[in-house]
Amino acid sequence: MALGARLRALLSRRSEPRTVISMHRERQVAVLSILVVLLVGLPLWWTTTRVYRADLPAAEVRRLAPARPLRLPLVFHVDAGALEARQIEQSARALVDAQRAPLAPGEWRVHYQVAVRPGPAPDAPGHYTLRLGAPAASAGRGIEVDPGRSATVLAPRAAAPDALSEAIAEIVAAEERAAHGAHSALKYAPEYAITLTLLNEDPVDGAAVDWDIEQALDAYLRPLARKMQPLTRLSLSSQVLHHAGPPPVAPLKTANGTRLTREMLPHFVNSPSWNFASVDPTSPMLNFVLFVPALAAQPMRIAGKPRAEAFLVSQWGGVSIANLPAGTLPGAKVVLSREDLQRHMGYFVAQLRTLIGIRSDVPLPQRAAGARPWVRVRQATDTGVSDWELDALLRQWLVHNRQTAITTLQSLVRLVESLPNMVVMDEIKTQVDQSLRALHAVDAALGRADYLGAFSSAAAASTLAEAAFFDPTMVSMLYFPDQHKLAIYMPYFLPVALPVLAAVKKIIAQWRRRKPAAAAAAAAPQESKKTN
Amino acid sequence: MRSVWALLCVVCTLLAAGVARAAGVARAAGAEARIARFLDGSASHTNNWAVLVCTSRFWFNYRHVANTLSMYRTVKRMGIPDSHIILMLADDMACNPRNCYPATVFGHPRKTTDLYGDNVEVDYRGYEVTVENFIRLLTGRVEAHTPRSKRLLTDDKSNVFIYMTGHGGEDFLKFQDAEEINSYDIADAMQQMWEKRRYREILFMIDTCQANTMFSKFYAPNVLSIGSSGKGENSYSHFYDRDIGVSVIDRFTYYNLAFFESVDMSSKHTMADLIATYNTSLIHSNPGVRSDLFARELEKTYLTDFFGAVQEVELTAEPFPIGVRPAST
Repeated sequence: MALGARLRALLSRRSEPRTVISMHRERQVAVLSILVVLLVGLPLWWTTTRVYRADLPAAEVRRLAPARPLRLPLVFHVDAGALEARQIEQSARALVDAQRAPLAPGEWRVHYQVAVRPGPAPDAPGHYTLRLGAPAASAGRGIEVDPGRSATVLAPRAAAPDALSEAIAEIVAAEERAAHGAHSALKYAPEYAITLTLLNEDPVDGAAVDWDIEQALDAYLRPLARKMQPLTRLSLSSQVLHHAGPPPVAPLKTANGTRLTREMLPHFVNSPSWNFASVDPTSPMLNFVLFVPALAAQPMRIAGKPRAEAFLVSQWGGVSIANLPAGTLPGAKVVLSREDLQRHMGYFVAQLRTLIGIRSDVPLPQRAAGARPWVRVRQATDTGVSDWELDALLRQWLVHNRQTAITTLQSLVRLVESLPNMVVMDEIKTQVDQSLRALHAVDAALGRADYLGAFSSAAAASTLAEAAFFDPTMVSMLYFPDQHKLAIYMPYFLPVALPVLAAVKKIIAQWRRRKPAAAAAAAAPQESKKTN
Repeated sequence: MRSVWALLCVVCTLLAAGVARAAGVARAAGAEARIARFLDGSASHTNNWAVLVCTSRFWFNYRHVANTLSMYRTVKRMGIPDSHIILMLADDMACNPRNCYPATVFGHPRKTTDLYGDNVEVDYRGYEVTVENFIRLLTGRVEAHTPRSKRLLTDDKSNVFIYMTGHGGEDFLKFQDAEEINSYDIADAMQQMWEKRRYREILFMIDTCQANTMFSKFYAPNVLSIGSSGKGENSYSHFYDRDIGVSVIDRFTYYNLAFFESVDMSSKHTMADLIATYNTSLIHSNPGVRSDLFARELEKTYLTDFFGAVQEVELTAEPFPIGVRPAST
């Protein structure tokens, strides 16, 4: 109201001659009004130029740091009484504990929690049936592993409990070792785009080659894709490339045919003219190439092992070389039937297993008859992956996805804290919260030995964490150094600031001049009193 | 424009203390990074990627397009497939009406190789080459509908070669005559890549004026940087072509390419060999190398670690017995 009165006074006295006092008042009003504008404007400026940052649950994310080993349950069902099962469990656990090295500081591990139960096993990952059998007279103690979730331990009846607990301990130890081995396999993806390509180097001087790929896929690859369905989608497609042209490396000529050396193999496929482009924007691509060399180069072999005709290219796919029957004439039409393709599809299955990380030594590596106990693993020839192998892959991906989710969330929190200019939208917070919830669901499901539930929660946790990390809105505002900000604001404020600052200085000076005067005036009566 | 930069320089000196503090922080981060490197030194190397960026528009910047296309041909010749090369060209010189050799781009007045010949896959062209798109590409924060060819799908086993050329100055590189990228922006982008393990090693090469300032702010580990000229120095063009009417290549890039000519897929040349060839009297500026963030010795770092097609190959001894009836059932 003081300002209002002053303003009114100023306006009413407009026509009056200017005096020192009126000029002083004018100055005060001007400075005050600018101050008011600043007071109103600053919060407005602050809210409109502020970088929006949702409040991420940073403390909870930091608490995820895995201090303890991750415990995964493995339940073995044996054909025995409850008491005997209990004894087997205890001795198996003792054996497993004895084999484990103590935890190094900062080390993180996966530990398998063994449980042994009597009676039949449910058909679910993590539950295995161990049967007892009598060994043949000559072959000692042994283990026969079925493609399903079961194995038969062959041991004399008297040594049966020991044989079972030793077998369990051995399986668990092998799994724990494998959980920390180096994997060159592809990372987990909810879908892999698999392309099978028939490459015909030269159909002009060679044969016109085609293949019965649909029948071959139905027989050899679709069963595998169906079996993998609970874990990941293997989308299969095929193409034929005629006139593919030679590979970038020229194979050596030999007495009959040609030979590729080991050194040539890394450069064999990487030809810009072989087009393996995929339209799928993100799924990992795997290429399997059936290469038909020009007739002049046939038969083409790979140096090294006898009859080697296929090789795997890490992270990329595999190649198999198809030599046509001797005596094929140029211009002949050759159709590779399902039977012709069986061997090559076998190579592709073997390569695909390696590429996505299906281990062949599950639950135990094959061991010859002399070993004690010997191990015979029956391969899953109908689908290409046994239940044991599938479960091992499930556990590996489960652990990997859980770890990915944790490290991604932690990276995200670190990143957001280190870049104050980064916008963090509410959706990011929602995704982080959902990912955290999924991580808790993983642990809850593992407590129930529900592997499929844990797997899907872990996959969701990692997908959500990655979606948050790679969200398109999460691009830091470009770096604006303070110099830039000054350069932007100075042209606006410098012309105004100089007269205002000068006025403020004058007001202060005047105020100071008046203060000693007022003080003197106040002091004067006192002094007069004294003299009185 | 010049006056703005002059003003910035004045303010810059005022804020020198702040910059010095930032440098201290960067050093501390470097020490941490070394530890991180020590801890995950086991990750092996399975693929190479290249990001080649020309940031300049307009006919008189013909040479920047030629620089980038020459690099593109070189990395492709050495075996990086097109799917692993992200080529960003801010302008189309081949179809420029002032080009008297339509549909071609040459990097030498002899005009023996048409750099724009066949099989050139430009992933980001024209006005798509922006600072934002470049940062999004590196950090992986692209829109969901972005095609595969515009994504850098690298992982912790990828070595990435980043080549940039254009007009720049101290700590900035101009994009499209409209905006500029700052050395801090690239440094932060690389740190974000490292956070998500989007690379194993990066070779950053830049040909622009005052290029060495562009990598002075880097702090992410495992980055080797090479620039064409020091602070306060210009980088120079090479081969003025009278028919085309402009210079066709830059000196630094030209002499790099001259060395790369001697390199093929199986070459054992190292980064140290490449750096030893830099000759200031030919390049007319002082190329800079920054290897303090890089864990390996340059004498043991092969050029093919970044340019070649490294592929681990394994013989498949026998087929999986798929569909084979088991004998015992």
